[in-house]
Amino acid sequence: MTQPASAKVTRASRLPIVWLVPLVALAIGGWLIFRELHSRGTEITIAFTTASGVEAGKTNLVHQGVPVGEVTQVIVKKDLSGAEVTLRLNKEAEAFARADAEFWIVRPEVTFSGVRGLETLIGGVQLNGRPGSGPPAKEFVGREHPPVAEDPSQGRAFLLRADKLGSLSAGAPVYYREVKVGAVETSRLADDATEALIRIRVYTPYIDLVRANTVFWNAGGAAFKVNLLGAQLKSTSLEALFSGGISFATPEGKDGLAPVAPDGASFALHDEAEKDWLKWKPRIPIKPIDSEPGRQPRASDLPAALKPN
Amino acid sequence: MKIHRQFPAAPSPDSRGRAAAFALSAAVMLIPANLLPVLSMDLPGELRTDTIFSGIVALCDQGLWPLALIVFTASFLVPVLKLGGLGWLLFATRRPVGEGALGLTKLYVTLDFIGRWSMLDVFLVAFLSGTVRFGALATVRPQPGIVAFAAAVVFTMLATDAFDPRAIWSSHSQSTEEITA
Repeated sequence: MTQPASAKVTRASRLPIVWLVPLVALAIGGWLIFRELHSRGTEITIAFTTASGVEAGKTNLVHQGVPVGEVTQVIVKKDLSGAEVTLRLNKEAEAFARADAEFWIVRPEVTFSGVRGLETLIGGVQLNGRPGSGPPAKEFVGREHPPVAEDPSQGRAFLLRADKLGSLSAGAPVYYREVKVGAVETSRLADDATEALIRIRVYTPYIDLVRANTVFWNAGGAAFKVNLLGAQLKSTSLEALFSGGISFATPEGKDGLAPVAPDGASFALHDEAEKDWLKWKPRIPIKPIDSEPGRQPRASDLPAALKPN
Repeated sequence: MKIHRQFPAAPSPDSRGRAAAFALSAAVMLIPANLLPVLSMDLPGELRTDTIFSGIVALCDQGLWPLALIVFTASFLVPVLKLGGLGWLLFATRRPVGEGALGLTKLYVTLDFIGRWSMLDVFLVAFLSGTVRFGALATVRPQPGIVAFAAAVVFTMLATDAFDPRAIWSSHSQSTEEITA
């Protein structure tokens, strides 16, 4: 029992260098876990009626041309009524995991009013979305069609009510004196099914042309008239012949022009123009053609009717 | 086996300390090894990322429970039991062991023997990653978890290697000396 005391002193004098190993292991292990947790974004599921072309590990959620999420799983719903796409979002794209976010599949689309999603023809389909701002959410229902661009700074939207839709489709042109000044955004049946509702957007330089008493008529399709003097085929343009189109005219009025129509104003859409509508020739100064559509109009640009009092 | 090797006259005094350091490192590495994915599979319509545990569950789901049992034993039970055994060995030799010395030696021999068999997962992932590369059909890729797992297994092997089994018997003889003294 005499020796052990001196033996203890030599053994406990310093911490062996081997104890660096657990420290390094702790650092590396911690870093591995941190990296994994840090890079891992939220996982969300989106229900689509069809997910054709969507591939796990290949299809991305693309926002402003940048991939911000990857599809990790595509399965058919349990009741076989549709497809469920699981998406892992990148860390910086958390805004897509919020209640009112919207998602849709971009496929190549060729219509008479333009070609869309051409890049998906070769690279496979893409998912596009619009970030939300509501409370965090993980389950979404995907849109069937991409939503129309709703940028209030780009022109002004109006609602047209028609007895029937005719051949109007989204993207169909809106004409003033057969100059394209806007486009049809979307259309639907009125809530009571008595009318067709069509939303159009008139681009920024031309918004002053639409006044409170402006009349709209369907300029689409072709009018084919046969009478004793011969046959007559009439169409506004080749584009309007296929995708439909809308024309409008503004009357001069007895005591000057009517006030400019506000955003969201509603008008009736007539089947065809009356003769004297085509003769109206009011002088309306339009904004310069090169005014940027994205730029907010300055106070000095505003028409008198929109100027704050 | 280590016991039959030639050793310097006395067991190195810090053999237990080194073994403890390696055992602790192994325990630390087992955490990311079990939390992080060990491999990912690109299959048509699916990108699977599996941790050790989710892989075992998936094998059970497919009715391959004998295989699941093997994987569970090799990748979860063995490393945990081995670490537990090492911990017990190190704890027991803190003081002279007396009559338990023979049992502890048997434990040490067992630990040393099973060490190399825990590399089954690492071998499997390395094998799959190397062979399953069919582009769009199927691709298997290793994930960071398998590195942590391999590190944990290597650390347990280093720990059993660092531990000098004569520490059991030297403390045993010390205790007999004390008894006779």
